[in-house]
Amino acid sequence: MGFYISSRPNIAKYVINVASIMMTIPSLALYGVMVVAFAPFKLGLGIVPSISAITIYSLLPITRNTYLALNQVKPGMIEAARGIGMSKNQILWKIKIPLSIPVIMSGIRIAVVMGVSVATYASLIAAGGLGYFIFAGIGRANLTMVLVGAILISALGIGVNYILLKVEDWITPKGLKVKR
Amino acid sequence: MIELTNVTKKFGNKIAVNNFSLHIEKGSLTIFIGPSGCGKTTTLRMINKLTPFDKGNIIVNDTPINDVNPVELRRNIGYVIQEIGLFPHLTVFENVAIVPRLLKWEQKKIERRIEEILELVTLNQSFAQKYPLQLSGGEKQRVGLARALAAEPEILLMDEPFGAIDPINRLKLQDSFLEIQEEIKKTIVFVTHDINEAIKLGDKIAIINEGNLIQYDNVSKILSDPANEFVENLLGQDRNIKALSLKKAKDYVLKDGFITVLDTESHESVEKKMKEKNIKIAFALDENNHLKSRFVLEKATDTKKQKFIYNPAPWIIERQNNINEALSKMLEAGEKQLPVVNRKKEFVGIIKLSNIFEEVNKKTNIS
Repeated sequence: MGFYISSRPNIAKYVINVASIMMTIPSLALYGVMVVAFAPFKLGLGIVPSISAITIYSLLPITRNTYLALNQVKPGMIEAARGIGMSKNQILWKIKIPLSIPVIMSGIRIAVVMGVSVATYASLIAAGGLGYFIFAGIGRANLTMVLVGAILISALGIGVNYILLKVEDWITPKGLKVKR
Repeated sequence: MIELTNVTKKFGNKIAVNNFSLHIEKGSLTIFIGPSGCGKTTTLRMINKLTPFDKGNIIVNDTPINDVNPVELRRNIGYVIQEIGLFPHLTVFENVAIVPRLLKWEQKKIERRIEEILELVTLNQSFAQKYPLQLSGGEKQRVGLARALAAEPEILLMDEPFGAIDPINRLKLQDSFLEIQEEIKKTIVFVTHDINEAIKLGDKIAIINEGNLIQYDNVSKILSDPANEFVENLLGQDRNIKALSLKKAKDYVLKDGFITVLDTESHESVEKKMKEKNIKIAFALDENNHLKSRFVLEKATDTKKQKFIYNPAPWIIERQNNINEALSKMLEAGEKQLPVVNRKKEFVGIIKLSNIFEEVNKKTNIS
């Protein structure tokens, strides 16, 4: 979606706005909406509405960063690419995307880490997960249980973030990382 | 080679290029000059179809460009811009190889070509694997030129290519660019707003103002015979001195009056040789013909004996320096003669103050 809107500023405005509005919905409420939305298909509880909620939540950072990344490529670069005879597609695949990888990847990273924390609520609609420890712990006034849940979730977030950082470093073109 | 006929371009209601007709000859370096917003860059960009024109016709290589696919057209025309636009995620090799790869050259041929082209722009082969972020401004500009020349286009379009380079390096780049052009003889259209650059580099100059072509002629003709007040003002008050600057050091290089020795030779043996041949000046060269040092035999005023002087880092003049630059170096060095080197720093001869004065005398006698 980010790729698609990157060359269409008119549509991009709306897409980014819609995604921003989605972000302002409290995550707990979004689960509620999903439960109601999927209820007619007898999927009102469990995995399906949870994953849908998390996906919608992740949309914004990924879309926005992809959009911004592709548009921050310097005009001189595009001008040179056109001037030496690269087609639109070649400019997108050989120039714009490689140059955008760091920003696109950081969008994905933010989305995934946010997803991990939002997923905590999934246990409230019977999808289980680490969030269970937290909510069960609160229900039983069991501090240890809450802490175990919280620490495991944090550890998961940090771990995933670390792995994605490595992936980012791995797929970023070497020329963007060299020092003088 | 390039023929513009009654070309007009409007941006909204504003006429950017008004009814241009211009013939650019094969192998010539044509300068477009004028104040910013005069339409010079627009005209340049119309030649490779980066900007479409409204009326008229442009013919490149006997074909109207309206009949040619823009992408195909651009692959056969080199293009260099002020921002250079090297791609930072690609090595120098990959940057230079872009157009040959787009044209589906064989890998072997590409490798050979890049070796050749790096040598042409006087970049060491080790640069091939560097990234643009590791290069200085001047080096980037050389790579930009190499990229534009890589697929051996006959035409080169350059839009203020040296505009963002500091003045000292700009002069050097201009010198080596002229040497390169002397070798490759491409048809070049070069946009600048710097009149000194225009006079130094151009074979022909097109002076443009507010979308109109004011004067298009040989550089010497423009200097001696400006079409109107606008051109006069553009050239400045010192246009007679500028006319002198059309002469290059290479026009005055002398191949005699000195001897050359290997830089491994002992000073005593050099001194002996010089005295035997009764020659006052000697240059020591290494095996690559690079100038290393200079020896002078001078009459000492008090003893009337000859003094032998060793000068490990002599002043040098480059072949492409114009006479103004050469004179100023001689004045600064306090020397009546200085050695001349080419773009590859190889020694080619000497230049003498007396020769230049002869030329100036001839000029003033005529006028």
